[in-house]
Amino acid sequence: MTTQTDVPNTHETLDTSGLLCPLPVYKAGMVLGRLEPGQVLELICTDPGSLQDIPAMARQRGDTLVASEDLNGTQRFWIEKGTKQ
Amino acid sequence: MTTTVTSEVEPLETDRSVRRYEDIRQLLPDVDNPTPLVQLNQVVAGNQITAYLKLEWLNPFGSLKDRAATYLMAGMQERGDLEGRDIVEASSGNTAIALAALAALAGKSLTVTIPSEVPAEKRTMLRMLGAEVWETPDDLCPVDHPKDGAIALARSIAAQDGGSRFALANQYENEDNVRAHYETTGPEIWRQTEGRISYFVAGFGTTGTITGVGRYLKERNPAIRVIAVEPQPGHRLPGLKSFQEAKQPGILDWDVIDDVLRVDDEDAYEATKQLHRREGLIVGPSTGAVVHGIRQIDDHGKIVVGISPDSGTKYTSYFEHILGDEGQPQI
Repeated sequence: MTTQTDVPNTHETLDTSGLLCPLPVYKAGMVLGRLEPGQVLELICTDPGSLQDIPAMARQRGDTLVASEDLNGTQRFWIEKGTKQ
Repeated sequence: MTTTVTSEVEPLETDRSVRRYEDIRQLLPDVDNPTPLVQLNQVVAGNQITAYLKLEWLNPFGSLKDRAATYLMAGMQERGDLEGRDIVEASSGNTAIALAALAALAGKSLTVTIPSEVPAEKRTMLRMLGAEVWETPDDLCPVDHPKDGAIALARSIAAQDGGSRFALANQYENEDNVRAHYETTGPEIWRQTEGRISYFVAGFGTTGTITGVGRYLKERNPAIRVIAVEPQPGHRLPGLKSFQEAKQPGILDWDVIDDVLRVDDEDAYEATKQLHRREGLIVGPSTGAVVHGIRQIDDHGKIVVGISPDSGTKYTSYFEHILGDEGQPQI
């Protein structure tokens, strides 16, 4: 778990609260697709499956999961868009 | 001066004898309006069988899936699933194309999740029909659904907002899919072959066809052998599924299946090209897979029927790659 102080500057926030996987993965992929390399997406999820799926998605896409937290059933991920896409 | 023109001409009624219809849905198949059964005269010539293909691409919306979509739509309407809701479905294209047309006719819209390797022709056709198309990598959700990303995504879209916005047609789990083939495709084949069919061959996809037709035929004659064609893992044969990598649909009934033949992409595409060039049948690659399966049957004098799910016109972008420089002047 990380704290907010570790979190880099966020360029866009996507709140997928209430959505079940893989919808958060899909929507996050669409937003990351339009970000520039090095920009960071803050992703908010409530599906526990996100704890596995979001890191897997970031690895698969070549992005970097720079921070995450899991508090009271709400997960936050900060994903930096990779350069090789 | 403006003139208002009102038609006083009564519309002509449907008359099947001259192929005149009041509504496109009246062209949907049934035992009295079957899709054609056409004999293969060249590509299985070495076998001692008489083989036929059932040309499902001559259905009004262009594929075998017109049948399932019709039954799925009717089931949703009968259950009241569509009251205040639109439709979402995972599809490799053909079910969605038929559903999109039927939904439009019913004043509904379709959201479709579609594997990203599906040819561009199908994705564009869906958008032409007014559907919203969510292109989905199969490995979208690698943890829980390693090869079924589109299906998982359709489920999650249906579940949002407490399920109040979308009804999931759910061809992989919905018995209406099986019933479509039990009540139409099976009886058509039985009648068209005068009950003399010995083998039925179809690809594994949603498995609605092989389960429904297989069940019907085996009830009429338990000796009929039902053969499934399954692609290899990592295949490029849209509409077909390898259950070595994809989840088996809930509607699959192994009791009606006698054998499973595995087919490589290369063999399927080679058979597809031969169907184009030697039989004049402009079919898609899943038909080639079925015909490759038919070629494994060598049972003297027996009648074999295979399913030709759709036409080659939706796969021209695939064949651009497969053909290489074939058909271009070599100067």
